[in-house]
Amino acid sequence: MMLANYIGAIALIVIGFYAMISKRDIIKIVVGMGIVDYGLNLMIVSIGFNEGGTAPIFTFGELVSGMYFVDPVPQALTLTSIVIGACVTAMALALCVRIYKEYGTLDTHEIRRLHG
Amino acid sequence: MSYNVYNVYMHFPVLAIMTLFVGAFCVTLAGKHEKVRNVIAGCAVLISFTLLALLVKPVMIDGNIITYWMGNWEPVEGYAIGIAIEVDALSLFFGLLITIAVACSCFYSYQYMKQDDARGSYFTLYLMLSGGVLGIVLSGDLFNIYVMLEVMTFAAVGLTAFRTWNPNAREAAFKYLVVGSIGSTCALLGTALVYAQCHTLNLAQISAILPGNLNPTTILAFALLFAGFGCKSFMFPFHPIAADAHGAAPSSVSVLISGVFTKTGVYGIIRVCYFLFRSMGLTSVQTMLVFIGCLSMFVCVTMALNQHDFKRLLAFHSISQIGYILTSLGLCTALGIAGGLYHAINHTLFKGLLFLTAGSVLYATGTTYLEKLGGLARKMPQTTALFLIGAFSISGIPPFNGFYSKWIIYQATFEKAAGGSIGYALVTVVCVVTSVLTLASFIKVGHSVFFGQANPELGNVKDPPLGMRVPMWILATLCVLTGLFPDLMLRYIIGPATAAVLNSVGYIDAAMGAGYAEAHLADPSLLAAPQLISIGAWQPASWLVLFVIVLLAVFLCSLLSRGNSARGLESDAKHAVFFGGERAEYSHISGGDLFWGFKHNLRGYLGFMSRVHTGVTNDYVLWGVTATAVIIAYCFVTM
Amino acid sequence: MKKNWKRDDLIVRSLADSYLPIALILGFYVILHGNISPGGGFQGGVLAASGVLLLYLGYGFRGIATALNMERMHRLEAIGAIAYVLFAMLGIFAGYNFCRNILWNSGEIGDLWSAGTISLMNYAVGFKVLTGVGFLLLLIINLLSTEPGHEHDGTIPTTELEEGGDAE
Repeated sequence: MMLANYIGAIALIVIGFYAMISKRDIIKIVVGMGIVDYGLNLMIVSIGFNEGGTAPIFTFGELVSGMYFVDPVPQALTLTSIVIGACVTAMALALCVRIYKEYGTLDTHEIRRLHG
Repeated sequence: MSYNVYNVYMHFPVLAIMTLFVGAFCVTLAGKHEKVRNVIAGCAVLISFTLLALLVKPVMIDGNIITYWMGNWEPVEGYAIGIAIEVDALSLFFGLLITIAVACSCFYSYQYMKQDDARGSYFTLYLMLSGGVLGIVLSGDLFNIYVMLEVMTFAAVGLTAFRTWNPNAREAAFKYLVVGSIGSTCALLGTALVYAQCHTLNLAQISAILPGNLNPTTILAFALLFAGFGCKSFMFPFHPIAADAHGAAPSSVSVLISGVFTKTGVYGIIRVCYFLFRSMGLTSVQTMLVFIGCLSMFVCVTMALNQHDFKRLLAFHSISQIGYILTSLGLCTALGIAGGLYHAINHTLFKGLLFLTAGSVLYATGTTYLEKLGGLARKMPQTTALFLIGAFSISGIPPFNGFYSKWIIYQATFEKAAGGSIGYALVTVVCVVTSVLTLASFIKVGHSVFFGQANPELGNVKDPPLGMRVPMWILATLCVLTGLFPDLMLRYIIGPATAAVLNSVGYIDAAMGAGYAEAHLADPSLLAAPQLISIGAWQPASWLVLFVIVLLAVFLCSLLSRGNSARGLESDAKHAVFFGGERAEYSHISGGDLFWGFKHNLRGYLGFMSRVHTGVTNDYVLWGVTATAVIIAYCFVTM
Repeated sequence: MKKNWKRDDLIVRSLADSYLPIALILGFYVILHGNISPGGGFQGGVLAASGVLLLYLGYGFRGIATALNMERMHRLEAIGAIAYVLFAMLGIFAGYNFCRNILWNSGEIGDLWSAGTISLMNYAVGFKVLTGVGFLLLLIINLLSTEPGHEHDGTIPTTELEEGGDAE
């Protein structure tokens, strides 16, 4: 069950990197960055998962011996990572808007004033 | 826990970080009042520096390690459940050099940023960047390091895109963000895998559990963390973004990106290799680090020879010097680590100085394009002097600081070669050749910017105002002082930091309680106390005397020949008959022509390098991903 | 979006009117109950900040410009962040470490007020995210408004801030 998650996460990361490497449109590069992020989040959440575990919320009176949680720390990490990913995307898109205004194109092969 | 009045200095590290962040938000509150903004930013960086400087005595000299649990969440049953701030001599060493650079650059930017139109958020981003960097080096928690890495990257990207009138700024920032995200991804994935193995994020506890547990997951985690931090230090395949970002950012920010930002990568690599995985004992990891260091060193210095932009050239040199640091740290000897750390502090100082002089040239003339500048020495004497100090330091000319650290690095590589591994002799050769090329490159810069014939278009150029010169002089003084008193530096600053690098047992015990390391470490090797023997130590005082004598001689010669120098040739009427009436023409010998023969002979290589750095984002991403894949494959094959 | 899209459409405006309080109440609910239920400052703040978008949908640029002041919002965000650090510093003032919960034994477990300083810090985070995300949305809307083909009455001053300021 978890193996599928890990394979999926790795696949997402690879797809994201593929998009970043091969797509010439900078918006698509940003989309690729987003896909890498999702793969990463899936990976981290899967690491903390326990088969049959309950939500890691301390609620009174429901504690039975033998009960266990899923690991809350990776979930916290994932939340942070999601927030950071959203910020990266927002920032990259803002830069894309500025670049489009300046260069009149979104093609990476034309956005290369800095080279050599 | 009981009500316990700690030693008051326990709170200093967290306060030093928080001062910067609170300063950042207070700057926002100040709104349109520029003076208030400046005062807040200045106070924040000064307080932060003072707090860290006060820690020198307890941490560096007395050898304490400060462990500070956020919210008093101390370890329970040998598990670190809280978030720690852990400051040993290594952290403090990086913290100090960061705050020095940040303070100098901050005071410089008061005047310097007056040319920009959107100054409102400059100091917010600036202080966020500084706070993020400081957070990385003082933190004792792997995930916090990642978060701070991201805060720092965002602020740096924002500052790179800051100059609205610089047409390249947005492009550079975008490339930086995209390629930097590879590094962040690797670091986070590595962190997650480490958590999966150790069920903790505390650096000290990981360093106790992880070493000796080499299974596929930890090897993958090691490779990913290494690549992640390597990306942040702009090591070899990640270097083009550094050049773009440094060139486009305001100079005061370039100081931070080159002198401070890259150091976090170096710090991360030290923590990962020497502490978390304790993998530096493996020959394969040493070879990898040294190989990457040498590649960065050589490739970037040859790229610098090709450049026509002052700041872009400095950027490539910056990565080349990072190569020195990585190489030296990869040797895994006490001497090598000392040389690497010494070069790290020197790199921050002289690179900061050089970027600030480049900023002054930009401030005065409006351009950093080498072919458009020339003969500024007469008009900007102080800037020229400062540039020379920086250039001498980076090229390793005694008695400036670069010489001593490079000397230690040569020694360390040679020692390694003498100890049996002959391949390291080649490393020494690469180091020396790079140093020579660095000097050549700075002769070119000096010639085309400060000496040579003056460009008549640059009429009323003069030295920058006092507010910009003072921070530069501070950095220059530090450059000279750290070169003149290497023994003091070694004893009080570098020595403790080197000892801390090799003393991971003390680091673990300070956080988790005494005896924890011994109980949990599988393989207690690599625990030997460091022996700091400085073979062939040099006498800076005698060098200084020689230097002063030579300087006096040059000065005297120029005084004696003042009468019949070529200076008055154009204006003197009595020579006019020999010119047949035409005016002397302005013909600039550009820096590119200075090494024409050399470059012509190497045109195959240099042209190839120039063509390979295409400037296309996809290519740089491809390099980064390939490098990560190669590192992972290498680790799996050899570890 | 179509060029001739009518902004003061009655249906859109009424729906925005009715959803706006719901969004705000849900947001504040999640912020307040951060210590006893899933969610917390960040999630609640984002929910509440969606009110800015509803306002934009219902009333367009003019409505936003009369209702919200970007400069003030930006400053409030900074105040939220400073408040967070100050609540965390209470620990130091009380003689413990940074972030220490010094009001930890107040209230019954499961009550709304049972987490002491943690609650206060959570509210500060919620406030900061509410204003920060709201400011970000305003910036994006402002950016769109300069595109051709959209109405723009110029009442929102073009901000001098880079987008990077909000990315923490």
